Amino acid sequence: MIEVISDLWSQSGIANMTWQQGVMILLSFVLFYLAIKKQFEPLLLLPIAFGMMLTNLPWPGGGIFHPEWFQGGINWAALGGHGVDPVTGAEIEPGLFDFLYIGIKLDIFPCLIFMAVGAMTDFGPLISRPSSFFMGAGAQFGISFAFVMATILGFDAQGAASIAIIGGADGPTAIYLTSKLAPELLGAIAIAAYSYMALIPMIQPPIMKLLTTKKMRQVKMEQTRPVSKVEKICFPVIVSVVCILILPTVAPLLGCLMLGNLFRESGVTERLSDTAQNALCNIVTIFLGTSVGATAVGTNFLKPETLKIIVLGLIAFAFATVGGLLIGIAMYYLSKGKINPLIGAAGVSAVPMAARVASKVGQKENPSNFLLMHAMGPNVAGVIGSAVAAGVLLSLFG
Amino acid sequence: MTSALIQFAERGNVLSLADALKNAGFTIMVVFAVLCLIFIIISIAGKIFSATGISDKPAAAKTEAAAAAPAAAAADEEEFSSGSLKLKGCDEKTAAMIMAIVSDNTGIPLSELVFKSITLVEDK
Repeated sequence: MIEVISDLWSQSGIANMTWQQGVMILLSFVLFYLAIKKQFEPLLLLPIAFGMMLTNLPWPGGGIFHPEWFQGGINWAALGGHGVDPVTGAEIEPGLFDFLYIGIKLDIFPCLIFMAVGAMTDFGPLISRPSSFFMGAGAQFGISFAFVMATILGFDAQGAASIAIIGGADGPTAIYLTSKLAPELLGAIAIAAYSYMALIPMIQPPIMKLLTTKKMRQVKMEQTRPVSKVEKICFPVIVSVVCILILPTVAPLLGCLMLGNLFRESGVTERLSDTAQNALCNIVTIFLGTSVGATAVGTNFLKPETLKIIVLGLIAFAFATVGGLLIGIAMYYLSKGKINPLIGAAGVSAVPMAARVASKVGQKENPSNFLLMHAMGPNVAGVIGSAVAAGVLLSLFG
Repeated sequence: MTSALIQFAERGNVLSLADALKNAGFTIMVVFAVLCLIFIIISIAGKIFSATGISDKPAAAKTEAAAAAPAAAAADEEEFSSGSLKLKGCDEKTAAMIMAIVSDNTGIPLSELVFKSITLVEDK
């Protein structure tokens, strides 16, 4: 009897659990709390947390995800059922997340999410005030700053570039770049990126107040000109051609973003636009979230590097906000006080959260001030800016 | 310049501070250059569209939304005055805008929508 109980115990997951797995499971519970109770980016944080929990549960005969099969290229033989444990020589069956992760490794999921983002985004505010591009560009300063800081903290060029892209405040772009440059950091970077995106309402307002005067924050902006349908249709085509001609590495991301937007604006593909915005987006979000969560394997995740990534991510976000605001302040002076510099902070991408924060801070100073549509210009310019920055980093270190 | 930067691309190589600054500067420079180029093209395109009168025909949705706002304001005066709509922490202009948005999003004409109150909710 005691032998049977002893056998049962030794075969159980509890006996086989390492301390790293235990800590990661507890961490996934924290993420559940943040996603469900605090509603921090729940659409992504919840599947990420569940993927993290599943991958760290002890699985008999292998696991649900094998990150070692994706280092460098993809180990197709192992995925075909010919994986062998290097220590015991026993065959390892591939797990569900091994297959789902292919979608990240081959850039399929981030690009499809970008297509959905494109289908959901109205570039009208950016087209009607093209100078918003400069604020979107300025907000990418956080990427450059975080890159230097990550290098100082000892990350190699690829790791530093992957961490720096957190400053782009764009989850799919961060996942796209990291899976190509430093896949071992993917879990930590994705969690940091999405957590900080959820924390934008706490991170940005103090910086906004620090860098701007009350008079600046109270500026009421004039209504921009209406944008014609033809302009909206031409925009994704122009941006695709210009960006991809200059930076071919950005083609998958930006191409999908603009294709999604063309679905929306063309007016003849409503079904495709609807699918991209809803069904496709939701399905890919589930796959992307769970498989990113699955990469957070305890032995890879619980390292001092993860803490560094969390800190560097915050620095990247903060300096991205500073960069956008400084360009906003410059435009305030250049326009002789007609542009509210707060909208520069929305250049950090994170659509539409950053624009809402800019609008809210402006409205606190002047309750009749509605900055939301003005802030959407730099906000969507930030999406293009962060994709371009990812393309540059990929060209340099890929 | 690019070839001088690419030589550090191997994995495991930690860049010197000078090289990191060079790469970071190059990255932000290219981002500005690309977005500046798009800015120029979009500005020129906008001017051409304005000159040819195409911009005078804004996208259908915008027109509808713009038309809905004054309609809401009018409705505000005609149907929702004298206490039938309670506004808490919300001025008439904002209320009109909210009603126009609700009408536009739901596709229900304003004349068929009844608003009892609009309250400003403060974040806790």
